[in-house]
Amino acid sequence: MSSTGTKLETPGAKPHPKLRALLVEDNALDAALVVRALFKEGFDVIADVVQDEAAFTKALLAHNPEVVLADYNLPNWKGMEVLTVLRREGLDIPMILVSGALGDVTAVECIKQGATDYVLKDGLARLPEVVRRALREKHERSLRHQVEKDLAKKADELARSNADLEQFAYVASHDLQEPLRMVAAYTQLLSERYKGKLDETADKFIGYASDGALRMQVLIQDLLAFSRVGRNTAASEGIDCNGVMKEVLQTLAAAIQESGAVVTHGELPAIWGDRTQIAQVFQNLIGNAIKFRGDNSPAISVQAEKTDQHWLFTVSDNGIGIAPEHAENIFVVFQRLHARTEYPGNGIGLAICKKIVERYGGRIWVEAQAGSGSTFKFTMPLHGPDEKPEVQP
Amino acid sequence: MNTDEVDILLVDDSQDDVDLTLHALRAEKLANHVFIARDGEEALDFLFCSGPHAQRSFDHPPKLVLLDLKMPKVDGLQVLKQIKADPRTRTIPVVLMTSSREERDMASGYDLGVNSYIQKPVDFSEFRKVVKLLGLYWLVTNRPPVNNGKSQTAGQGS
Amino acid sequence: MKPVPALFIVDDNPADLGLAREALARCAYRGQISSAGDGVEAMAFLTRREKFADAVRPDLVILDLNLPKKDGLAVLAGMKAHPELRRIPVVIFSTSQLARDITRSYELGANCYISKPGNLNEFFSTIKAIEEFWFGPVKLPPRGE
Repeated sequence: MSSTGTKLETPGAKPHPKLRALLVEDNALDAALVVRALFKEGFDVIADVVQDEAAFTKALLAHNPEVVLADYNLPNWKGMEVLTVLRREGLDIPMILVSGALGDVTAVECIKQGATDYVLKDGLARLPEVVRRALREKHERSLRHQVEKDLAKKADELARSNADLEQFAYVASHDLQEPLRMVAAYTQLLSERYKGKLDETADKFIGYASDGALRMQVLIQDLLAFSRVGRNTAASEGIDCNGVMKEVLQTLAAAIQESGAVVTHGELPAIWGDRTQIAQVFQNLIGNAIKFRGDNSPAISVQAEKTDQHWLFTVSDNGIGIAPEHAENIFVVFQRLHARTEYPGNGIGLAICKKIVERYGGRIWVEAQAGSGSTFKFTMPLHGPDEKPEVQP
Repeated sequence: MNTDEVDILLVDDSQDDVDLTLHALRAEKLANHVFIARDGEEALDFLFCSGPHAQRSFDHPPKLVLLDLKMPKVDGLQVLKQIKADPRTRTIPVVLMTSSREERDMASGYDLGVNSYIQKPVDFSEFRKVVKLLGLYWLVTNRPPVNNGKSQTAGQGS
Repeated sequence: MKPVPALFIVDDNPADLGLAREALARCAYRGQISSAGDGVEAMAFLTRREKFADAVRPDLVILDLNLPKKDGLAVLAGMKAHPELRRIPVVIFSTSQLARDITRSYELGANCYISKPGNLNEFFSTIKAIEEFWFGPVKLPPRGE
C-alpha cells in the first residue's frame, strides 16, 4: 500500500464550484466513479485517494478537504475509523460513507456514530445531492459557531468594561473627593476667617474658588449616582406604585409644604422593577415639577394608563413649562436650561430618569409648551420576570 | 411593632426612668422604634432571638442597646457580658446607663467592652438632656454595624 | 472638679487634623489635643515609647482608618490587646463607607464609627457631636496612670 495518496481531478473544462475531497477507497475504479458522479452534477472535484490511516491523516492535514468519502470495508482499515481521526484532529468535516450493500441497521448505526450520510455504490446518482446538503449544513454550523464566539467575546468585554467602570466609580467617589474636600473646606474657612479683612478683590476670588469647589463636590456625587444606575445589583421585584408614591411624597414633604404644592395621583399599577430606582424616577419628576414652578402654587398630577404594549405614566404640572425646541436636550446629562441663580440643580435628575426607564426598555419624553406647564410621560413594561425583556447589567 | 425594625432596645426595670427616657426620645422624634425589656432575661431573649422572641432574626439587630445595671433576674453586666461574648451580637452598640456611682461598675463595664458608660442624672431636666444627646449620637451621628439583612449604609442606589 | 479630658487624634492628613482642631476650638474645647500621622507613631505615643516617654495618656482617641505604616484597624487591635490602653474609648473617624470597614471596626472593639462628612459645616457639627457626647454625659474610664 502506498502511503501517499493519488490525486484525481475531473476532466475537461471547469465551470463548476471547486470541491476538495478526500476519498478513502482501495478500488481505483470505484474512486473514479465517485468523482465522475460528482462531476456530472456540477462539482469540480480535486480528490486525494488513500487507503490507510497514516496516508489519510497526512492528506487531511496537508490538503484540508471539505468532504471525506469513505468505503466501509477496506483491506487494511475500517472506513468508520475516519471519524476517530477527524475527532482526534478536532476537525468538523462531513464524512459520507460510500459503500457496497450495508444493512439498514448498520447504516443507521454509522450515522449515529457520526457519519454524515451514506450512499450505496450502485446508487451514486444520489451522491452529489448528499454532498451538497452536507456542505450546506457544515456552512450553517460554522456561521452559528462564529456568532456564538462573537457573543461570548462581547459578553467578556462587557464584563471587563463593567469592572473598569466599577473601579472608576469607586476611585471617583473616594480618591477624587478627598483633595476636593480639602479645597472646599479650606476655601470656605478662608472666606469665613478673612472676609472683610483683605480687599474686595480677595473676597471675590475666595468666593469664586469656594463656590467652584462646592459645586464640583455635588457634581461628582451626582455623576456617581448616575453611573450607579446601570450597575445597581439590587434585585427587581413586583412593586406597588401607590406605595412608592407614598414614600416619595414623604421624602419630598418639606419641598411640598414650602411651595404649597398639591400632588394628586390616580390609581397606580403594580409593576416589575427595582423599587429604589422607580421611586427615583417619580421623585425626580415630581421634585422638578415643584422646583420649576411659576407664580401659582404647583398643582401636580400623576396618572397611569394601560396600553397594549406598556404602562404609560404621566406626570403633569402647571409650572413654567419647557419650549418644544428643548424637549430632547433636557434629558442629557448636566444639560440645564436656566442659570444656576434662577433655579438650583445640576441637570442630572432627568438624565437619571431616562437611564432608569430605558434600562427597563421604556421610553421617557415631555409634551410641553413654554409657559403653560409640562407633561412628562414614561412607559414601563406590562409584564414581570417570566416574560421580562432583556435587562441590561 | 415590627421587632426587625427596632432602633433602640431599652432595658430598664424602673417605670419612671423608662417613661422619662421615652419622653426625651420622643421630643427628638427618636422614639418610633423603641422596644422595652423589663429585665435582663427579656433583653437576652430579644437579642438572641429566643423564648418569646424566637421569630426575630440576628440580621436585624437594634442600633443601640440602652442598658440599666441593677435589674432582677439577670443584671446589666451579665447581659453586657453575653452580648459582647457572642459573635452574632458583639458588634451591637451597648450603652450602660445606670444610677450606680460605683467606680467598680464602670471599670467592669469598660472591661466587658461597653461602648459607653453614662451615669443617670438625678435631675429631671439633666436626664432629658443626656437622653437627647445620646439618642442623637447613637441613632443619627453614629454608623451602626452593617448586617446581612438590613444594610444601614447610606447612599445606596440613589 | 474633673480635669479636662485629653484627646488624641490619629490622621495622616494634616489638613484634616487642622479641620478637627478648628472644629474643636469652635466647641470651646480647651483640653489637650495630641496627634499622630501614622499607625506606628500612634502606637509609640500611646505606649509612651522613646521620645513619647512623657506623653499624656489620652481619654479619647479619634482614629482614621487609612494610615501609612500601620493602618487604623491595626492600631485599634493593638490598643485592645494592651492592658493599659484597652479601656480607652476609640471613635473611628473615616471617609470610608465600606461595609467591611465598618463591621471590622466594631468587631475589633471600636466604640463607634463616624463617617467624615464631605461638607465643612457638617464636619464641624460632627466633631461637635463627638465632643459633646464623649466629654459630656459619658463617664470616661480613669486614666490608667
